[in-house]
Amino acid sequence: MLSRVANNLIWLERYMERGNGILSLLKVNFYANQDSPELFPWTPIIKNYTDYNNTFYTENTVECLDFMIFNRDNANSILNIVTRARENARSVQEHISRELWICVNNYYLFLTKKGLRKKLKNEDPIEFLDNLRNYHLMFYGIMDITQERGAPYYFLNLGKFLERMILVSDFTELKLTEIAKTTDKLEQSFYWKNLLLSMGGYQLYLKKYKSAFKEDHIISMVFQEKLFPRSLYYCVNKLNLSVGKLIEGGQLDKNYIEFSLGKLESTIKYTTIESINKQGLEHFINEIKQDIHDISKSINKIYFSEIT
Amino acid sequence: MTNKQLFSSYQLLPNTWDEMYSETSNIRSQYEIINNYLRNTSTKVLYKKEELSRQLFMSQGVTFTVYNDNEGVEKIFPFDIVPRIITASEWEHIDIGIKQRLKALNLFIKDIYHDQFIIKDGIIPAELIYSCPYFLREMKGVKVPHDIYVHIAGVDLIRNSDGEFYVLEDNLRTPSGVSYMLENREISKRIFPGILPKNGIRPVSDYPNLLYKKLKALSNHSDPNIVLLTPGIYNSAYYEHTTLARLMGIELVEGSDLVVQDHVVYMKTTSGLKRVDVIYRRVDDDFLDPLEFNASSALGVAGIMAAYRKGNVNIVNAPGTGIADDKAIYIYVPDMIRYYLNEEPILKSIKTYQLANSEDYAYVVENIKKMVLKKTDGSGGYGMLMGHEASDEEIADYIDTVNKKPENFIAQPILSLSTAPCCINGVLSPRCIDLRPFALTGPDGIDITPGGLTRVALKEGSLVVNSSQGGGSKDTWVIQ
Repeated sequence: MLSRVANNLIWLERYMERGNGILSLLKVNFYANQDSPELFPWTPIIKNYTDYNNTFYTENTVECLDFMIFNRDNANSILNIVTRARENARSVQEHISRELWICVNNYYLFLTKKGLRKKLKNEDPIEFLDNLRNYHLMFYGIMDITQERGAPYYFLNLGKFLERMILVSDFTELKLTEIAKTTDKLEQSFYWKNLLLSMGGYQLYLKKYKSAFKEDHIISMVFQEKLFPRSLYYCVNKLNLSVGKLIEGGQLDKNYIEFSLGKLESTIKYTTIESINKQGLEHFINEIKQDIHDISKSINKIYFSEIT
Repeated sequence: MTNKQLFSSYQLLPNTWDEMYSETSNIRSQYEIINNYLRNTSTKVLYKKEELSRQLFMSQGVTFTVYNDNEGVEKIFPFDIVPRIITASEWEHIDIGIKQRLKALNLFIKDIYHDQFIIKDGIIPAELIYSCPYFLREMKGVKVPHDIYVHIAGVDLIRNSDGEFYVLEDNLRTPSGVSYMLENREISKRIFPGILPKNGIRPVSDYPNLLYKKLKALSNHSDPNIVLLTPGIYNSAYYEHTTLARLMGIELVEGSDLVVQDHVVYMKTTSGLKRVDVIYRRVDDDFLDPLEFNASSALGVAGIMAAYRKGNVNIVNAPGTGIADDKAIYIYVPDMIRYYLNEEPILKSIKTYQLANSEDYAYVVENIKKMVLKKTDGSGGYGMLMGHEASDEEIADYIDTVNKKPENFIAQPILSLSTAPCCINGVLSPRCIDLRPFALTGPDGIDITPGGLTRVALKEGSLVVNSSQGGGSKDTWVIQ
């Protein structure tokens, strides 16, 4: 496969995963913000997903949603993310299933339809967000049932799980910053619950631990829960699987990635709750983020550099 | 219930061949079935079908992007739902006519880049060849596989008031539009269910397989690595490039995906460099190799021409085919057919005046209102003067430009393009059309997919069918 194609596939999936994550975050924060805007403000979310040059901040819910979904100057607005996902998909059409391309293309056409932006101001924001999110769910499903299990599939998955790990660690860090500001246990439990909701793990948590919010349980759910498809443990396993398949198929050079991936894997799998508490959760997350960053960089290095 | 309104205002144009109505205003037999179908379809349903076709084009991504203030707007090439229908005998004439022409043109290109008998025998003046911007000295003496230069051609035909087909242009470089031929048919199937088989319409869907077979035949390998080279995502024909690559199952590459080492072309893959055997390029000659042509081109591949001359890679179409598709050379195609094949041309050419010739010049200036003036190296409907609709000032300006370099201009009488019914605002109206069949040449001969792309000048009274200037397209049906 062409190196450029591999790169396009990774980024197609990274953008789609990021869009899905941001939409979930917006939805969960919307509900929470209507209850207690002081605990769940919009500013930290805007800050996390914009670059240093951004000067736009708002606590007006609809304005914020509009900025996060439609603003062309916001590099991570859903519109920009989907535009780039589509451009990546467009240039690899002979490698992805026809249905997958049509799904991404229709999502883009829906987002750019005249009058959609106005709807956000006048209609139910949750239905609005759900309508967008359905395209992501469709994308996951279509990929699962139409894409052959060859190199393109594993490059797509590599992008998906890499991005998902970044999202999860970002979400966690966002909440940690807020939690650090208060000593009120009840307030802290709100934040933890909110984190689980935005990751989509609240239901599983209740099943496993009932309605008692204990920090250790939540940390173990986010980082170490084998059955939760958005825990770091699960993601690193899947990432490993894709990387393994690509190395096996001669599509990826072992030396570039194995070390950083192995390091990340052991950090996630073999760090106990005690040792996380000892070093501090923030330190632990930073270490993980650094590892993910290294992996992402080494992948970019393979596919952006000139082969001589 | 019959839809009377639909046909109410179909006004035949004077001195114009209409594809559906005969001179006596009877429906031609090939249009009877579709005509009955349309008559029994309400305007509301027709609107729905039009909307459906637009949606299909959009969601399949059969679009090109127009960039405006950093914002990309997706546009579709307008599609008229009423098909253009060609009878079996008309098609046969077109088919053998194009084959004859391409045979002669291929021989001409080979001759020009080798012995130049046609110049030595005084058929074509040498200065015409050497002054042509499409003549590539870099191709002189280069042996190309099977002596085939033009593998893919999209010959533009028009039908004059006499009902005869005339060749307008040969399009021997990188003709586009074939994806619309394929896509239009897929859409026709959906908007006129059952009508195609009832008419006995020949299918077009075999084109990608045929193209692949022709490309494959150019290599000696049993499983050659064939790629399609695109200028990239911002090219207006990018959709076509992705479609053809997908339908043939070959890799779509950009210039930066390729590299030349020791006169061999490779593509950069995730498992290292992989040798490329055949390149179907959709990049113009000028941009193909920065070492030999336009040095600032980032669309091509440095060293690709040297690899080609060594015979290490095949480029389709061969570089330098533009020499046979220049508007000044066009005049000589009938002579070429007589010279190389010893046959009389089957398809007619349009009488063409060379403005460098003083007699021709005088005639053209005198009759300018009946003439269309063109630059010899122009395309896409740009740089033309349509005498009948230009103001005196525009004419004077144009003549000024001609006077500076008359050898760069030709003139032709304005022909009336034939008209075909188009669905415009819910009623059928005649609009001017042309026809671009796609011909594939390989070691085993020439194959022409029955039909092609019918382009329509959607503006009332317009003769310009180019997509960049308000043109649209129709599905083209050839009856068995």
